[in-house]
Amino acid sequence: MNHASDRLWRSLEEAGGNADFIARVSQEFPNLAASLAAPIDRRRALKLMAASLLMNGLPGCDSKLSENLIPAVRVPSNIVPALQNSYATAHVLGGYATGIVVSHYMGRPVKVAGNPHHPASLGAIDAFAQASLLNFYDPDRAAEIAHRGIPAARADFETALAAQRLSLGADRGAGLRILTGTVTSPTLIAQIRALLEQYPRAQWTQWEPISRDAVMQGAQLAYGRPLELIPRLEQADILVAIDSDLLCSAPGRLRYAREFAQRRNPNRTHAMSRIYAIEPTPTLLGSVADHRFIAGPAQLAHILVALAAGIVDGASAPDPARSLPDWIVPLLEDMKGARGRILVHVGASQPAELHALAHAINDALGGRGVSFDLIEPVSNAGSAGQPLRSLIAEMQSGRVQNLLIIDSNPLYSAPAAWNFEEALRQVSFSVALAQHPDETAQAAAWFVPQTHDWETWSDARAFDGTASILQPQALPLYDGLGAVEMLELYRAPAARSAEQVVRGTWKRQFGDGFDAAWHESLATGVVPDTACAKSGARLRALPAQLNSSAPINDDAALTVLLRPDPSLWDGRFANNPWLQELPRPLTKLVWDNPLLIAPALAARLHLENGDLARVTVARSSVTAPVWIMPGQAPECITAWLGSGRRAAGSIGDGQGIDYYPLTQLPGAATLQKQPGHVRLASTVHHNLLLAASQEVLRHGTLSDYLAHPGVASTAQPEPHIYRTAPPGAAAWAMSIDLNACIGCNACIVACQAENNISVVGKDQVLAEREMHWLRIDRYFAGDPDAPESFFQPVLCMHCEQAPCENVCPVGATVHDSEGLNVMVYNRCVGTRFCSNNCPYKVRRFNFLPYAREQHRPPQSWNPDVTVRVRGVMEKCSYCVQRIAEARIAADRESRPIGAVRTACQSACPTRAFTFGNSADPDSEVARRKSSPLNFSMLERQGTAPRTTYEALIRNPNPAIGAGRKAPPS
Amino acid sequence: MAAIFGPAANLASKVVLLAVAGAVCVGFLFWWFWPTSDYARHVGAMVVQPVPFSHRHHVAGLGIDCRFCHSSVEVSANAGMPPTFTCMTCHSQIWTNASLLAPVRHSLSANTPIAWRRVTDLPDYVYFNHSIHIAKGVGCQSCHGPVEAMPLTYKAKALSMEFCLDCHRNPGPKLRPRSALYDTEWRSTPATPGAAALLAAYHVPDRNLTDCSLCHR
Amino acid sequence: MSARTPRLDDPVIAAGISMASMTDRICAITLRERPFVWWWIAFAPCLALTALLAVAIAYLFCRGIGIWGVNWPVMWGFAILSYVWWIAIASGGTIISALFFLTRSEWRDSINRIAESMMLFGALAAGIYPILHLGRPWLFYWLFFYPNSMTLWAQFRSPLLWDFWALLTYVLASVLFWYFGLLPDLASVRDRAVSRGKRRFYGVLACGFRGSRLQWTHMRAAYAVMAAIMAPVVVSIHSIVGLDFAGAATPGWHSTEFPPFFVCGALLSGFAITLLLVIPLRRMLHLQDMMTGRHLDVLCKLLLTSSLCIAYAYLMDAFTTFYGADPAEHELFRMRAFGEYMPVYWGALVFNCLLPQLFWIKRVRVHTPGIVAICLGVVIGMWLERYEIVVTSLARPHLSSAWGAFHGTFWDWATLFGTIGMFLGGILLAVRFVPVVSMHEMRELIASRTAAESGA
Repeated sequence: MNHASDRLWRSLEEAGGNADFIARVSQEFPNLAASLAAPIDRRRALKLMAASLLMNGLPGCDSKLSENLIPAVRVPSNIVPALQNSYATAHVLGGYATGIVVSHYMGRPVKVAGNPHHPASLGAIDAFAQASLLNFYDPDRAAEIAHRGIPAARADFETALAAQRLSLGADRGAGLRILTGTVTSPTLIAQIRALLEQYPRAQWTQWEPISRDAVMQGAQLAYGRPLELIPRLEQADILVAIDSDLLCSAPGRLRYAREFAQRRNPNRTHAMSRIYAIEPTPTLLGSVADHRFIAGPAQLAHILVALAAGIVDGASAPDPARSLPDWIVPLLEDMKGARGRILVHVGASQPAELHALAHAINDALGGRGVSFDLIEPVSNAGSAGQPLRSLIAEMQSGRVQNLLIIDSNPLYSAPAAWNFEEALRQVSFSVALAQHPDETAQAAAWFVPQTHDWETWSDARAFDGTASILQPQALPLYDGLGAVEMLELYRAPAARSAEQVVRGTWKRQFGDGFDAAWHESLATGVVPDTACAKSGARLRALPAQLNSSAPINDDAALTVLLRPDPSLWDGRFANNPWLQELPRPLTKLVWDNPLLIAPALAARLHLENGDLARVTVARSSVTAPVWIMPGQAPECITAWLGSGRRAAGSIGDGQGIDYYPLTQLPGAATLQKQPGHVRLASTVHHNLLLAASQEVLRHGTLSDYLAHPGVASTAQPEPHIYRTAPPGAAAWAMSIDLNACIGCNACIVACQAENNISVVGKDQVLAEREMHWLRIDRYFAGDPDAPESFFQPVLCMHCEQAPCENVCPVGATVHDSEGLNVMVYNRCVGTRFCSNNCPYKVRRFNFLPYAREQHRPPQSWNPDVTVRVRGVMEKCSYCVQRIAEARIAADRESRPIGAVRTACQSACPTRAFTFGNSADPDSEVARRKSSPLNFSMLERQGTAPRTTYEALIRNPNPAIGAGRKAPPS
Repeated sequence: MAAIFGPAANLASKVVLLAVAGAVCVGFLFWWFWPTSDYARHVGAMVVQPVPFSHRHHVAGLGIDCRFCHSSVEVSANAGMPPTFTCMTCHSQIWTNASLLAPVRHSLSANTPIAWRRVTDLPDYVYFNHSIHIAKGVGCQSCHGPVEAMPLTYKAKALSMEFCLDCHRNPGPKLRPRSALYDTEWRSTPATPGAAALLAAYHVPDRNLTDCSLCHR
Repeated sequence: MSARTPRLDDPVIAAGISMASMTDRICAITLRERPFVWWWIAFAPCLALTALLAVAIAYLFCRGIGIWGVNWPVMWGFAILSYVWWIAIASGGTIISALFFLTRSEWRDSINRIAESMMLFGALAAGIYPILHLGRPWLFYWLFFYPNSMTLWAQFRSPLLWDFWALLTYVLASVLFWYFGLLPDLASVRDRAVSRGKRRFYGVLACGFRGSRLQWTHMRAAYAVMAAIMAPVVVSIHSIVGLDFAGAATPGWHSTEFPPFFVCGALLSGFAITLLLVIPLRRMLHLQDMMTGRHLDVLCKLLLTSSLCIAYAYLMDAFTTFYGADPAEHELFRMRAFGEYMPVYWGALVFNCLLPQLFWIKRVRVHTPGIVAICLGVVIGMWLERYEIVVTSLARPHLSSAWGAFHGTFWDWATLFGTIGMFLGGILLAVRFVPVVSMHEMRELIASRTAAESGA
């Protein structure tokens, strides 16, 4: 964030000592503490929201004198009313950290941004990390420790634990088991190791529903030990993505997205990369690839074996009985041609053997050290510790007396067949440390509320091993324990505070000069030089059985692909309204997770969108609505995990379908149509398969572009009779690079968080009333079975000849002197004519008092943006509040206004958005607008938009001819 | 045929007609002028505070600078209200037992903030920024009036949109020399530099200062 | 009796009706002690519907327009289209009353009171919609120009603003127009009333109109002037309503043909409603000898004419769409004609253009059940036409990613039928309490005829 840059990177200590600072924070929102101390029912929440309107709603009437001014008793340094402070920390998902910066107003966290110093962020941020703001403020978060469902005091728990320590000491921890998610935190690992030394017979299980074990095992097969492969996409001329999760769910995806984008705009990169995607279900990478080939699991393995045979000497030949698609040969040519500058990447959901094969191919093509690196593993998940399966077996056999579950929810997410619930009953002393009273927590003997990551000290490693220290952003809103504190309690009664423990860990690392290093690490959010070392491991000869190791599915049988929900991950975000209502990239679905099936399969079973169907795998079956997904492999059904929670909270409970019962089951699946239909909410209200017309979205191939660079760009704008460019000093404008956009939705959440945009709920979305200011339009073109897909972010174009302006009878939407199309909420009477007259349909209307009914306390709104009441039109303002702040800062010092970054821009991992003063020829936006790819949407409307696009250029292999087609199967 | 109405009807009808016309006129006048009236805008209405703080005593009497208490006025949108500590810097030495100050001492001991009643309030959709106005030479009194003369603080100006625009359309005449920004005694004299000079001195940009986006977001 | 079945060659007024007898009959209707039974039967449902309207409005103000079906991108729905529909009906009445007054058409005299009442209550029904339509209705007065503490004025370039003022003018003017025409008749009723209460009641309403020569001169002059004003006002109001759409760049709206097209629509629905009111009333009040087959014939012919104009407009609509090169317009037209809203488009076409063609047949023009059926069709057709213009156009913006659909909710329909109840209830009240035929104009008509006869 521009305005924070000077104040950024300050640690809490510098903020005048935690005690003061945090005391300040709790003072800052006394009524939040008060209102959230007790568990909140909906009515209470509504009361809160009503209060929020008093605080910052529109109808704040200017003759009212009732409001109070509440100064602090004592103000720590750096806390200035109405100024923003920013502190670095990290967001941990699936064990891997991404650096973030949390912005505070008067001590309240209100916005999350990426940390430019952090290798996994580079300043970008994903939807999850941004939405964690709502998790922090979530009124459904538990307030009290509970013993078998009955509220208990912390003292009770500690006495119970003391008794446990005695018995554990007696039998050297024979009955003690620890269950966590993937852990990369040096502190936690050290603590658990210490615990295991104290109780040698205890065991530790790391388990993630979204598992990356196959990746490790693949490396194990290929190199004899677990390794992590770190792609260097900016170095890769060719990327062969085998069902790759590089842009969707792989750790470090933000960085990969950045590197990917660096080679995609022919106008800026020295040589455009070429991306082949071979996958059973559309992924983000596949959707933006130059060639996307559809292949089910069996075909996928077959193709990879064939590629290996073509490249790796000594690799066994593919099964001659199976046909190979005709594009294999040109693909192989292309791959060999790019020796040393090529990468083959296999997604985590593919079996270990395919990973091993890919390692072999990569090694043979010599990209190591250039287009990818191999590093020592960041986490020892999978390789070390006891597998969940055997833990459950032990529990059932009653050999486990003491089970500590930290931030894991196996009761919901473990395979149903393993029957964790039953096993848990056999454990006399089970403790669940969780932020919500979730499924597992409710079944465990003891439920201990876990503090949010922003309320305690911890640390974690990023995809490349770089460590970050997580520092608290506020005092706990609820009484609770962090993971670190809990483990401390397990070891000794007089537990050290989390801060002491974390400091202890890093004292050992930093040695003397600790203070400086510690401050530096807190300030930058990165602990220097902690990245994992590159591995020198050599490739082993490929085991012979590899080609027979392809999954034993024949193409006729159906396969269920269980993937993390693009917005809810493994379900831990199910109670987050922003994420629930975040349109999934390719389906634009919200609040739902139907089965994704191919058009062919739908036709065969006579299924329409929303029809119910029952999918059965090995005697366990789930009935769910279906959604027809163009580009899906006909023999595959995709199911998103993470919905259908039973105890997520008032937002997530009962939303969508729970597919975990289908996990870890062998054999083929069957799909039968069921009577019944469900209305699925999608923000694209006509599920049309449309070629994006050049009027709207211009695209072409690299060869066309090289032939005539101007092919896609806008012709000279016709002179306007009426107003020309506004007089102001600055001319705010935006350019969006369609070559960079991967449809990841980070911008949408950023916009929602920055601009206090309401969540409206499934019913209102079904009524076509979603409120997102920024939407990502998704178009398909070509053959429904294997379409080409396009992403196009659409926000207010800030037209210089804005049609909305001259139809408003009260002048509530007008132009300002710097070219912004301003929406003055408090002047709006709600005729809605402006929306009718907007060719881009970027205006949203408060049909109902949405802002009153948000599932968040008033203190979580952004105080710099008006909260809109019902009956008022709203739309993208180019983050006018940030412009105003920058302008004021500049004017105070009588200097020209500096750079302003919009929320969408600062969040975007690929830098697709560029915003700035186009009047300044040296500005990035001016440079991008002079690109031959520059075009404006619906140009013939003569609106002269300030937001323009760079046309999408793809780089297909001429030898493969028609861009993307399905393999013969 | 017998008359339906007596002679009085003539008068009655006229009266009624006039009354209706009059009512309409009065209604319109009220609708036009009431909202802008000082009464409707609480101008001059003293507000009872938890502590009867007298600006006249502290500012005019003791000559304490505005920024001593409203410390963030030069850097932030918000001028800032003094934390209890600021009050106690002096009142831990003098008037230590004054019953008037009991709430202040209690605030410190109990670590509970003092809840001052807001005197000059703007609608929540108006984003006023103190720092830029100070930086460009608008003195406190321009909007807050003669605070130094207020035993109990009251709202001195209407602070309607009209009031703001009046200055934003032609800021020059309202500006003060930098030395006079917090000077409660200052009055414009012939020696005072003219509007143009001040505008130049403060580098007030020749930007349109009446853009909606300037105050409404 | 032959006079009771309308015939084409009926005179404008049956022979043998003298001024006195006519005046007596009309006043008798107004001065009845107790209303007819059929009146109560008709009035009860209207009252119920009006109550429903009140509920719908109350709920709307409490909850917000989200209770309607409007959405993104179809931001306008029933409120606007019903508004246009009502305005058209009202304007039709004005045209009969004002335009044909200026043309001195004698067939107008016996039905202009009905037409004017129709204008009045149509305008009132229309008048409430623009306010209900607002997201924040309590701020509607921001469309006025008045000195305010924000130093802001309304925005002149917006068609909605023109519309607001045109509507205001129109409603006020129609009230006055109606009332002026009523004065002498109120006086006659007052003079014939026996009970003191009624005499005082009508006495006050008549504003002391004693029929002195001077008063007659003034009254005639005023009425003529009002008529001369109303005629252009009604054209302007409906053209401006047309501009609400033509003034927007939205596909399906952005067309210069809208203003005249809308005026023709007004004529069509106006004549239809007049017929729908005249036919039952002449029967129930036994006025067949004053509202004769001649009247029906004329109105039917006029209806046919305006229907032809509408047909032309539809034709031009299709032509200009495909003459132009805007893909969005083409897509929109295809969707209208063959998409999910197909019934609306073809319904409008059949009811407004094809059905009235039956009036080419002479017999149909005096066959009351037939006329009623056709007019009902036209009224529905006109509503469908507005639905097609407002809703279908908005459902197909330029970007396919923003395509939407619209479905009216219970509250949409409640408001619509509520206003219908209010309208009919108003008409019934007028029938009950004011002379249903303009007696003074009828007297002139009779005088002129007797003069002509004696002259012959």
